[in-house]
Amino acid sequence: MEGSFRDLEKCQKTYQKTTPSQYFAPQKIEKALEILSNYGEEIKIISGGTDVLVQYYDRLYEVNNWLDLKNILELQKIRISKNQMEIGATITHSQLEKSEDIKKYFPVLSQAAADIGSPQIRNRGTIGGNIVNASPAGDLLPPLMAYNAQFKLLSTKGEMIVPAGEFFIGPKKTILEPAQLLTEIILPLPSKRTFGCWTKIGKRKALIIATITLALVVEMAEDNKTIKDVRTCLGSVAPTPIEIKDIREKMIGKNFNQLDFNQLGQIVEDKILPINDIRGTREYRKDVAKEIMINSLEEVYSSWWRSYR
Amino acid sequence: MTKLIIKLTVNGREREVETTPSTRLLDLIRDDLHLTGTKEGCGKGECGACTVIMNGKLVASCLVLAPQADGAVITTIEGVGDDKCLDPVQEAFIETGAVQCGFCTPGMILAAKKLLEENSHPTEEEIKRGISGNLCRCTGYQKIIDAIKLAADRLSRRDSGKSEEDA
Repeated sequence: MEGSFRDLEKCQKTYQKTTPSQYFAPQKIEKALEILSNYGEEIKIISGGTDVLVQYYDRLYEVNNWLDLKNILELQKIRISKNQMEIGATITHSQLEKSEDIKKYFPVLSQAAADIGSPQIRNRGTIGGNIVNASPAGDLLPPLMAYNAQFKLLSTKGEMIVPAGEFFIGPKKTILEPAQLLTEIILPLPSKRTFGCWTKIGKRKALIIATITLALVVEMAEDNKTIKDVRTCLGSVAPTPIEIKDIREKMIGKNFNQLDFNQLGQIVEDKILPINDIRGTREYRKDVAKEIMINSLEEVYSSWWRSYR
Repeated sequence: MTKLIIKLTVNGREREVETTPSTRLLDLIRDDLHLTGTKEGCGKGECGACTVIMNGKLVASCLVLAPQADGAVITTIEGVGDDKCLDPVQEAFIETGAVQCGFCTPGMILAAKKLLEENSHPTEEEIKRGISGNLCRCTGYQKIIDAIKLAADRLSRRDSGKSEEDA
């Protein structure tokens, strides 16, 4: 609010825990960073609110002050510059799902966005929120890792670019500092010979927290026969979204006809560390991980074959 | 608690409301504007009973803070149809028996209207996806799906200027 915004400086001087709560909705990133550096842990960043408010109503934490990102237009852009795509942190899941550029370059991310929640949730929830919420089951996280995403973190002290794989450190835990704001997701544009597959397993189609997810992305070399790179990223099978790196050495440099899909599925089963919870047992997740890996490899293989012929 | 004033347009009428930073849009609609057609079910965005259309998008009003709706244009169920004439979607719900206890109906109708706005000839799968954020514990959904199909047929005939008898 502009009114409360003008009071900011006065507020900073007299601020104590007993101070009435404040709501800020600045238009500039710089202003948001300034507010964040002043309030630190005493302010909660909100955008779509689809995770923050559920946790707030359950009183998982007390909120004294809100920093709403809704007026920062800079965070609402999808841009392609040179060899990369830059996605603003408050791009919603609906926008990700419908964006022609994202469908073209990052279909696995687009499909994962389409599987989130419901129309109501997809219209409000954002990519940045899904990332900073850092649920092990966050649907966008395995695709982002599989496409080698990097996150741009800003604070009044400067800029940090972090690979997705180094951002998550535990369930709902990240390296993000209270004074930092995730502003942008940077994705290198994949070559035309890149093929991917998205799988989400849950008890129903809508509004379900994933029991297990898999984003498989395979890039072929110039000859379109040899596998140049592969990323096998899973959600809900470890404290953070993870990549099974052992798959790389088994696949890179090989042709599809040299691969044993069953063995690759077994590697995924062996390498994940799922827990027992209401969404599925450890054993169930391990069995399913193997099966969805095999199915994804078959899917990727047939998309490659269609393009090769 | 800090008080703040927000302005929003609800069902075509501009409103100015005093609220707090942590008030939900749902409570503002029900308690301050006294528009009780919007219901609270789960309060976690999972049931869709609190669905409204905000700036052209279907949202769960329990997951929006009132100040986030400052400047927004909102349609609630009270803004669908008018005193003299029901909306074709509402008529179709009545005719097919898609309303039983009625608690999900306001959200369901808004979801259906939004779906038909974006896709005038939805398939059954597309209808199911369009209402996937709205739970109904009475109908088993089939009658709701039938109602949306009926409304789609009527709306497309109306738009092409044909009456039902012509079809």
